[in-house]
Parts: sequence; structure tokens; C-alpha cells
Amino acid sequence: MKDPIHLNLNCGVEMAAAPMPGKHVVAMEFRILSGTAEEPEDKLGLARLVKETIDKGTGKRSGRELLDAFDDIGAPTGAWVGREAAGFTCICLPEFLEQAVGLHAEFLRTPTFPEDAVKTAIGLTEQEIGSLEDDPPSLADKYIERYGLGPVLGRCPLGERHTLAQIGREDLVQHWQQQYCTGRMQFSIAGAVDPDAVAKIIQTHFDGFGSAARVGRDGCGFTFEPTRKHYDKKIEQEQIALCFPGAAVGDDDYSAMRIMLGVLSGGMSGRLFTEVREKQGLAYDVHAMAENPRGQGMVFVAASCKPDVADQTFRTLLRELERLSEDLTDDEVSRARSRVIAREETMADMTRSRRGTLAADLFHHGRPRSIDERLAKIRKVTREDVIAYLSSHPRDRMSIVTLGPCGLADAQTADTIGALPNEDG
Amino acid sequence: MKTDNHFGAHTLPNGLRIVVEQMPDTRSVAAGFLARTGARDEVPELAGISHFLEHMCFKGTTNRTWEQINTEFDDIAVDYNAFTSEERTFYYGWVQTENLEKQIELLADMMRSRLPAEEFDMEKKVVLDEIARSNDQLMHVAYDFLHNTAFDGHPLGWPVLGHDATVEALTREQMSAYYQERYAPNNLILIAAGDVTLERVIELAEKFCGQWESGPAKPERQTPKMKVGSVLKQLDQFGQQIVALCYPAPSSVDPLHETANAAASILGGQNSRFFWNIVQEGISPDASCYRIPYCDYGMTLLWGQADPQNCERLLEAMQSQAEKIGTSKVDEQEVQRVKNKRRTSLAVESEAPYYRLVQIMGDVDLLGAPRSIDQRLADVDAITVDRIAEYFESYPFDAQDRLLISVGPRDWQGQN
Repeated sequence: MKDPIHLNLNCGVEMAAAPMPGKHVVAMEFRILSGTAEEPEDKLGLARLVKETIDKGTGKRSGRELLDAFDDIGAPTGAWVGREAAGFTCICLPEFLEQAVGLHAEFLRTPTFPEDAVKTAIGLTEQEIGSLEDDPPSLADKYIERYGLGPVLGRCPLGERHTLAQIGREDLVQHWQQQYCTGRMQFSIAGAVDPDAVAKIIQTHFDGFGSAARVGRDGCGFTFEPTRKHYDKKIEQEQIALCFPGAAVGDDDYSAMRIMLGVLSGGMSGRLFTEVREKQGLAYDVHAMAENPRGQGMVFVAASCKPDVADQTFRTLLRELERLSEDLTDDEVSRARSRVIAREETMADMTRSRRGTLAADLFHHGRPRSIDERLAKIRKVTREDVIAYLSSHPRDRMSIVTLGPCGLADAQTADTIGALPNEDG
Repeated sequence: MKTDNHFGAHTLPNGLRIVVEQMPDTRSVAAGFLARTGARDEVPELAGISHFLEHMCFKGTTNRTWEQINTEFDDIAVDYNAFTSEERTFYYGWVQTENLEKQIELLADMMRSRLPAEEFDMEKKVVLDEIARSNDQLMHVAYDFLHNTAFDGHPLGWPVLGHDATVEALTREQMSAYYQERYAPNNLILIAAGDVTLERVIELAEKFCGQWESGPAKPERQTPKMKVGSVLKQLDQFGQQIVALCYPAPSSVDPLHETANAAASILGGQNSRFFWNIVQEGISPDASCYRIPYCDYGMTLLWGQADPQNCERLLEAMQSQAEKIGTSKVDEQEVQRVKNKRRTSLAVESEAPYYRLVQIMGDVDLLGAPRSIDQRLADVDAITVDRIAEYFESYPFDAQDRLLISVGPRDWQGQN
């Protein structure tokens, strides 16, 4: 597999391309380096509203005509808003590449944000906030992210009802004018493509789109403040979520953290699955994962269980986090390493997946990396590296959220987390 | 042994069928055992046994403990898991090519589970927790209520997870009897897709499955008939309201299969009539139309979720759009756009052994043989405006034949 290409185009767009000869599709992403962290505090939800409405009308077409034009070339699109970026994705057959790029340029550069579309988007978002209440695992995620990543990075993209009420069309226009420009744009593409030809297409379509000066490359940072909070909800399960600081993507021990997570929750032999589900039958779902805003790392652990075993489940989670540094084995590290490598190598054969790794590398490293380079540090991680990571990232300061009918009750649990400030929800 | 294009098929003397697709330009293999049994093959007092059995197949064999199964899979697999539906149970793994033999050995071993008694009650707790999790989520509750109402008294009405009471009451002996009957090799199909040949899979199947003894054929299924009318379920613990309309539709094996999917896509897929006339009118953030096909029956489902006070508007809008598409021809461009999107999605599917595995699994189970990407493209290309019109003549959105369900906090009439 050829090394990916990295180009800084004159128009200001930063581009990464992975030619994959023989593939029948092209996968691309336009990433704008501006997310929910850029929203004014009293207008939370703004970034997502821009994402929802930016394709609802352009200087040339109505929203419907625009989506029809994408469908005319059989190019399904997607969009997302994250903490520090927004992304617009598309897959198409290679012969429709230029048309697909042209349509993206049209709505990214000349959105009209029709008044009725904005009002509709706000109303729909309010309903989606209501939907979140009917999905307890997702609701618990929203709460723990707030306490894990802080009041800025931990924002929910949906916003809040009272902040949505403060947003009007002019806010969307202003946000787009300030945040959407080539200086904030990263473009990633994988599949049956010629990078030079793609670069010309991007240059042609995006030249002159806002400021080309590089901005949005730095993380916004936050200070972690451990918090304990229970949200009372009359449901059958208790949702338990906790988090604590981990390594950032650029840190030397980031690969060791990935292997640690593999040991903890990488598959059915992971320690959490083994101890919580297989040995005690406490919970159907238990997992751990990392979130990595730029320059930051946070490990999240979650389980949902019947209320009568919530304390036992919680104690088991804590014990497994503690036990990692006591009896980690070479076999566990080797297994987690093999799994990461096999997964990455195999997924790299898929156009969409390769586009995803290119975009992530541009975002975190400022350049695309080959699969070999992406895996080089992983291949070298040893048990000692993971132990060293665990020593430098103690799990003694954590935020804890419970959502359900009773929270955590018994004495041992209370002792464990008693030092934390407790806010009743 | 038969081969066709990149496909090959073979049946072992004990009845185990083998289907393989060799995919050029891949470096991995996805493989799985399809057990042709699911929730609709259960009797009422055993509701949930297929799904619980799927869990138990990971819990130990005569060769391995559950720890060994989990550990050995994690040593080799890019991905692995299992799922149970109304009509089937599927166990799969996806590995780099060099790990194919190990993967098939592991999956084959799981198909001969010991159903360890010492793990039975422990895993029962996990399944009961999974049911509780489902009960807390409006979408799951509404989906189960829909089936329970539409197929009242028929096994398609049981929830796949079962009920608390039936799972609580299940014994290992009951599961063992069900297992012996339904997991005989003549009720299983071994499927592989990716960097692999039919000859290699036959060799491995003979090695790991050749000694299995045939069993009775699976029981006949009774064709259901969907109930009609309006049934509302008031549940105060939720904040949003689901409104769903169900109409009869072609089964999975009906020649109108692709036409029905295209019609559903035009009505309620991406960039569809629902999207512009319901979602973008602010009535519901999630309004869609899709078909739920079974081997002998099908339903077209018009599904929306909204604030409770929007129920009437949502129902009226869904009915209005259904009436329009059923009574006047769709636009030529609408049909062409569906075809264009399908062409791209098939090209994406052709890249990934796992995606192909799942598609082949459905084809083999329902149609008896897999369809190549080219065959499926031809099926899509054959859809026309006239065919869709003919389809709606055969399967009209007739108010007399529809079922309306609604689940959520509001007590409303739903009699629109």
C-alpha cells in the first residue's frame, strides 16, 4: 500500500489522499476545524444547527434540489459535529468525484440558511433533546461527558432548550462566516483517485473561500474536576458512568493507553467483560473507551445493571481499574496488541475506513500517516510500558455519574467516592 | 461441488451446507454459521430461548471453557459476535486470511456447546439484564409492542429477547432439547466470504464438522396474518411518542422484493417524501418508511417519533404521503435516484468481507443461493415507474388493512 499524500493547497485547504487502485468507490471528508467548543456559552447547539441547515439552500439551488443533485450521482452524504470540528462526508463512484466536490463547495460556500429551515431545525432539535430522555445509556453519556471534559469540551451538540431559544438565523450566518473558511478546512480522500487531479479540483472549487490563514489547529484545553452526581429517573436499570484522565493522542504513552484499554475492554476476554458479565452476571453491557480532544485524553467506563446490583457492579469496576497495575500479564498485552494491529490492517482495505484514519491523522498529527507508521508504536508496546502508563495516570481522581432509580448506596461505595463533591440531580 | 462466478457451494454428507464467495483484492475472510432458527420458531412458554441459547454457545464446549473461547477469539479476530432475530441465529468472525482455520475451528466448536450447567443461571441474569435495558428504551419497547400487536397469538409476536417470566422459567434441559433439534448440521449453513476458496472451506468443514450427525428437519413455520386496527399503549415513563402504521408487503422471497424496497426508499428513505414533508416540516425528527420482510410475509412500516402533542400531525402527514404515493405514479427521477444510491452502496459492500457475509447469509437462507453484486444490480436496474405502480396495485396502502400503533405518554385516540 502506497504512502498517503499530504498537500497544503494554495487556496488554504490542507489535503490528505490515499490512492487505493482497484477500488470502485471514493470516500471523502471535508472537515471544518470548529465544533461545539466554539459556540457562545448562551447559544449552545449553534454549531449543530449550522450543520443541519447549511445544505438547505444555496445561491443556486433549494435544499431539495441540492440533495437531488447528490442523488443524481448516487453519492450518499453525511455530516457530524464534534467538540472541535464538524465533518461532511460523502461516498461516490470515481467518475462523479468532481461533481461531488462541486456540490460540497456550493453549500459550504454559499449557504442561504433559509429562515423557515432554521426554525424547523431548532424545533426538531428540541424534540431530539426529548428523545434523548427516552434513551438512558445515551443520556448517561451526555452527563458523564459534561463532568469528564468540562463545561466547554463536554458540551452536548444538541444544546439545551434554553440556549436554543436564544438562537436565530443571524447567529447561524455569523457562525458560518467566522468559522467556515479554507484556513480551517482539512480534506481527506481515499479510493480510486489521482491525488494531483484531486488537488486541482479542490483548488478550483475552494479558492477564495474565506481566510486561508491557518487557524483552529490547537486544542482548547480544560482542567479536570472530579465530580459525583446522581440523576434520578424511574427506569429499570441503573446507568453507571465514570471517567478519569488518560493520555493525549500525541503523548509518548498514547499507544500504551490503547493497549491498556484493549486489556480492559478490547473484546470478550477483556477484564471488564470477564469480571462484570461472565463471572458475576451483573450487567449485559459494560465497556471502556477513550475520548481524545486535541492535547487531552479521558478514559470513560460505563455499565448498566439492575439497581439491586449497582453497588456490586460499581465496586467491580473500581477493583478492575485498580487491579490493572497489580497483575497485568504479557499474554494480555500481546492479545490486545494483536487485536489492534489486525483490526487496523484489515480495515485499511476499506475505502471509508481509510478515509477515516487519514482525517484523524490530519486532525491530531497535522499530517497523514501510513498504516505501518500508525502501527509502529503499537507493535512495540510491552507490559512494562503499560505499567509505566498506569503509574503516570493514576485512577484516583474520577467523575462519577449514575442515572436511575436509586444511585449508589452502600457504605463501601460511599467510602470509595466519599471524598468527591456530591451534587444531587 | 458447484461453482458459479466467484461463488461455490457444497453439502457434506451430514447435511451441512457450505457457501463461499471468493473476493478478489481482499486480505481477510469473514465466516459464520447460520442456524436457521429464531424467535418465531419458539413455543410461547419458551419465548426467548433462541437468543438465550446464542449466549450459551459462548459459554463452553467439551474442548473449551468460556474463557478459552473468548481468549482464542480475541487472539485472532478483527471482529466476532452473534445475533438472533425472528428467523435466524448467526455466529460470525472476521479474521486475516492466515487465521481462517482457527476461526472455523472455534465457530464449529461453539456449534457443539456443552451448555454448561454451572454457567446457565449466571447467563440467565445477563439476559434478564438485557431485557431490562431494552425495556428502558422507547424504540425497543415500541418495536416489540408493534410485533406483539401485529402478530398477536403468532410466534412472530414474541420479543426476540423473550419475557422476564419465560426466561426466568427456562431450564437447561429445555434448552438442550431445543439445541439438539435445531443445531443439527442439516439445519446449519457455513458461509465464508473474502480471501478464500471453496476447496479450503470444504476441507476445514470436513475436518471440524464432518463427524456431526444429522437431525430432524426444522419444524414448518405457520404463515402469519397481520392484525388491523388501532392499538395505543400509554407509558408515562417516556417523554416522546412513537406513531407507526403497518401495511401488508411482499415477503423476502417475493419477486417484488427490490421494487418494494425502492418504493419504501422513495417514501421514507434519505431525501425522501417523508424527509421533506414531515421532517423538514418540523413535525418529527425521525420519520421513515421501511419494509420488514420475513420468509413468508412482509410488512411495510411507516414509523415516526415526535413530541406527544404532534401525534395527530404526524399521523395525518404519514397517511397523506402514503395515499399520494399509492394513487399516483412516482417520478422517473425519484426511481433513478434510488438506483444510483443503490449502485454506490453495492460498490461499498463489495469491499468488505463482513458486509458480503451478512448479505450472502440472507440470500442463502431465504432464496437458497447467494446473489452476486452484478445480479443484485440487475435486479435494481429492472425497477421502473410502472413496476412501482404495479406494486402499489398489489400492495396498496389501504386503510382497511392497516394497523396503527402508538406508544408513549399520551392517551390519545389515534383514530384519524
